[in-house]
Amino acid sequence: MHSAAPSNVLKLINKMPSTRVKRFTAWAVFAAFAVMFFAGTAAAQRSADPPKSVPVAIDGPKITQIDIDEMRDLLKPKGKPLLINFWATWCDPCREEFPDLIKIDDEFRGKIDFITISLDDVDDMTTVVPKFLGEMKATMPAYLLYTADPDAAIKLVSEKWTGVLPLTILYNADGSVSYLRMGKVRYIPLAEEVKKALAVGAK
Amino acid sequence: MKRAFFTFFAVVAMAFAVNAQGINVGDTMENFTLQGTDGKTHSLNDLKGKNGAVVMFLSAQCPVVKDYIERINKIAAEYDAKGIKFIGINSNHTESLEWVTSDAKENFPNFPMLIDKGNKLADKLGATVTPEAYFVGADNKLLYHGAIDNDRKGKNIQEQYLRTAFDAKLGGKAIERTKANAFGCTIKRLEADK
Repeated sequence: MHSAAPSNVLKLINKMPSTRVKRFTAWAVFAAFAVMFFAGTAAAQRSADPPKSVPVAIDGPKITQIDIDEMRDLLKPKGKPLLINFWATWCDPCREEFPDLIKIDDEFRGKIDFITISLDDVDDMTTVVPKFLGEMKATMPAYLLYTADPDAAIKLVSEKWTGVLPLTILYNADGSVSYLRMGKVRYIPLAEEVKKALAVGAK
Repeated sequence: MKRAFFTFFAVVAMAFAVNAQGINVGDTMENFTLQGTDGKTHSLNDLKGKNGAVVMFLSAQCPVVKDYIERINKIAAEYDAKGIKFIGINSNHTESLEWVTSDAKENFPNFPMLIDKGNKLADKLGATVTPEAYFVGADNKLLYHGAIDNDRKGKNIQEQYLRTAFDAKLGGKAIERTKANAFGCTIKRLEADK
């Protein structure tokens, strides 16, 4: 039926009185068939693939998976104050504070190093984590820690940390901890802390 | 130099502030009385079993607690039979009584859920995370504090801290690991959002 339709339609168009009407109708018919064709192809693809294997275009930064040893290296400042935010997409206060972290990154980019470490599942590394970071327009280097021993990871970061998320930790350039906060941070107090760490480095 | 001295002082003050609240393994947990989602008041001393109790900070919202529902209920049922009673505590000021009540009915129907209004008990014990367990013996001495196991999703459980502590206690042995932390949700305290 599909193949018969175009020739019948062409005959009809030829019978039309003016060239302008003819041209317009021909375009409209062509467009309609094009839409039908593409819709048909898309539908065929959807039914052929199981939903999970359809590649989802995630507009977000690349996430690097790390273990405890790799995290140990990341905790060391490299000549500048270092700010690290531990977070997860499942953590409400983490998502709530993120716009403030973006502002910090905008203001202090180049002056400090700022990285984020997600505690989401490895499965989330190509889905919800980059999706959220993309929505936030986050450009800080993004990592995801996977470990079978979260207690060891928590201790490595700080003896004070109870494992609560979010955790924000700021190191002076010499590696000493200048600020640690469990729970949500706000832009203004955190910016003050970053300035303090920068002042320590300048002396 | 002045700054260094000040920094030192601040660090010492902070260390004191952290230690001022909370109890450590070996300390005695004071008896407490709180209102339950069943409308009745309950105390630790009334609720504990012949081999002790687990005071567990939970949440109706926290996704980590959600991941642990099945495991918590399984352990609670198993050790309830062995004389260790579970007591759920909700200290989140962000969760309404109605919400906590319906959540407890649905997800934790087999042990009491107590409301820690104003997060006073959380402050006293130094609880910060959900889920977070305090296992006390029949004498109210804290034997284990922290996580249930090492893996939130339950796909790669290598250490069952809480269960191991129970088994050691019930077997009359020393508990090897008395503290372990895990990633979790913040306890939403009254003053925290200001």
